[in-house]
Amino acid sequence: MARFCQGDSTAFDALFQRYARPVHGYLSRLTGSPSTAEDLVQLTFLSLVRARGRFQPGSRFKPWLYAIATNAARDSQRRSRRPEELTPEGELPASVPADTPAPRDSGLEQAVQRALAQLPEGQRIPILLHRFEGMSFAEIADAMGLTESAVKVRAHRGYERLRELLAALHQETQE
Amino acid sequence: MKPECSRVMDSLGGPLPADLASHVATCEDCRSLVGGFDALGAGPAPVTPAPRLDAARQRALDELSAHPKPTPWWRELLVLLAVYTAVLGGALLFMGRNGQVGNSASPMVVAVVAVLTLVLVGGGAFVALAPARRRLSWALVAMAAVAVAATQVLGGSGQQVRPPMEGMLRCMGMEMMLSVLPLAAALVLLCRSAFQPVRALAAGLSAAGVALLVLHLHCPEGTVRHLLTAHVLPWLLLAGVAVLVRSRLPSRSHAP
Repeated sequence: MARFCQGDSTAFDALFQRYARPVHGYLSRLTGSPSTAEDLVQLTFLSLVRARGRFQPGSRFKPWLYAIATNAARDSQRRSRRPEELTPEGELPASVPADTPAPRDSGLEQAVQRALAQLPEGQRIPILLHRFEGMSFAEIADAMGLTESAVKVRAHRGYERLRELLAALHQETQE
Repeated sequence: MKPECSRVMDSLGGPLPADLASHVATCEDCRSLVGGFDALGAGPAPVTPAPRLDAARQRALDELSAHPKPTPWWRELLVLLAVYTAVLGGALLFMGRNGQVGNSASPMVVAVVAVLTLVLVGGGAFVALAPARRRLSWALVAMAAVAVAATQVLGGSGQQVRPPMEGMLRCMGMEMMLSVLPLAAALVLLCRSAFQPVRALAAGLSAAGVALLVLHLHCPEGTVRHLLTAHVLPWLLLAGVAVLVRSRLPSRSHAP
């Protein structure tokens, strides 16, 4: 990161090779659209280059990068929606439209996506970062600008809600 | 959440130690937690085509070669503070031809309110532009605004020099005019990081605070009504306008 901050393109390439695909996966899950995620990856790494003077030496890189990616997704959703469709806190609404409408239940992956999409943003992001990106709660707290205990409470509630939602979806498909 | 529940969360994805496993068996919350976590991982990984990321890489590399030197965030803060200082100094010099301080309250009160407003101006600029590891608290910003508003109103001299409407229009117009440049500079610099409404509010309070400080020192009117409607209310409105305008402007970077 220090070499990249000084303008070393090889160092940037190393960071890009390591993180571009995982960030794309995260953004795909967050937005429900792989093609939107591609655009957001571009915005994320462009922001990374432009704002590298804001990176605080000694802090962790990965949470910072995911914070940028989350902000880019939030900004993109904010601009593509009417203000009345956002929550009062300016966050993403609980439901995120997918690129293609999911069938009633064409598999567990769709069920998981549908359940995740029903969570509020404050619970969905910690779960995506924890379950799919393998980040610790301390790293997620850094990425979200919250305390670790606040992130744990959100993730705990999110996992509980997911279990209920998945059970309900499972029951729905059985009928 | 109990400490054991917190430890269960830390251990998710790996084998649970015996004591935590027995806790999960007895704690309904943790059973739901582990159930939700496991349910997410039970499905196969989605099969998606490889994303096309070459354009993203090339665009970022072009940007890097165009700007090989990073701009430290504190340089932007210095620029903003320089704009504030220029507006403040220029306005006081221009309007203070017949004496720098028109406020007829006691010098101690004038000084205390001025220092408090100055702290808000500097502190607001700092929290608006500095990278922060924790989200800025709405309560903190609101408390600072209320404290400054209260001291501005309560620290008035009580004197009325001009007819109320004339005095109000003069001060409101001056506050709007003096706030244009600081607000514009703050908004331009705010766009270099991700949009956060609370930061935009802090920037707005800080930028419009420059005009509030000029009025506090220069304006001879000291009634509560005048201070509230012609000084404090426009200041709060301008801060609100800053949030609204920032929400409409594109971000040059999404960094926190």
